[in-house]
Amino acid sequence: MAKGNIDRHLPLTEATFYILLALVKPNHGYAVMQRTEEISQGTVHLAPGTLYGALTSLEQSRLIIRAATEGRRKIYQISELGKTVLREQIRRYQIMLESAVSDPELWEANYPGGE
Amino acid sequence: MKQKLVTKFRWFWAWEDEKEETWLADMAGKGLHLESISPFGIYHFQQGEPANIVYRLDFHILKNQDKESYLQLFEDAGWEHVGDLSSWVYFRRPVNGSQFPEIFSDQESKIDKYRRMIVYLAIFLPIMVISIPSIYRTDYFGPAASTILETLGTLLLLLFASAMVMLIRRITQLKKQSEG
Repeated sequence: MAKGNIDRHLPLTEATFYILLALVKPNHGYAVMQRTEEISQGTVHLAPGTLYGALTSLEQSRLIIRAATEGRRKIYQISELGKTVLREQIRRYQIMLESAVSDPELWEANYPGGE
Repeated sequence: MKQKLVTKFRWFWAWEDEKEETWLADMAGKGLHLESISPFGIYHFQQGEPANIVYRLDFHILKNQDKESYLQLFEDAGWEHVGDLSSWVYFRRPVNGSQFPEIFSDQESKIDKYRRMIVYLAIFLPIMVISIPSIYRTDYFGPAASTILETLGTLLLLLFASAMVMLIRRITQLKKQSEG
């Protein structure tokens, strides 16, 4: 897959990151809301209007696909492209974290919450 | 016991949706609960107990199947769908504690709602550009009718322009807010 194809979707917003993560398993909209609340440990809250817009645009950019319909609910799932994008985002976060965590000067001083 | 229906007239412009939300909540506080909405600012309420209710309006042009799953998502999340007025969708839910529930959790999606309104209005732009100048050119219906048509055309054009300006202003306000 061409790299530019992935870069176009990066960086993901915090909300989009969790939506994609919640859709590694097929889920309907409300389950995505609940799952996001849970895996983000309450740091990301999605209201239905915002989530509906996000799902529509993720489907348009083919990062997720509509897997099925359950009554009036649409079931979404992450696509292969979506997985590639999510993994690349995680790799970049890891680079960010590693460089930050290993910087002694950042942690040396009396940062809030430190000893 | 048959509940009493109360009809009220109140005009809100498209960019005054937040004012409309507040008004509907005030009505609920007086025991008037929205039952349905008719065009031209006619609201039908059912008289009941005063309650602390939040009303939220969304604007969406959706196909039937998409509309169903859209409404289902809101219902799953605890919102009651009260009704529609053209592309406006009315939701409400009771307030618990001091937290005011919202249908948008970020500024960007709130701005998108106003962008959808602009797109909707823009559909009428070609029709106006084509039809309004021809009103001024023709004398086909006689001078009296011409004057009326011209006045109507001008009013429509003014309304269209002010709607665009107000919606763009609203978007700019929201963008400023999100930048802090």
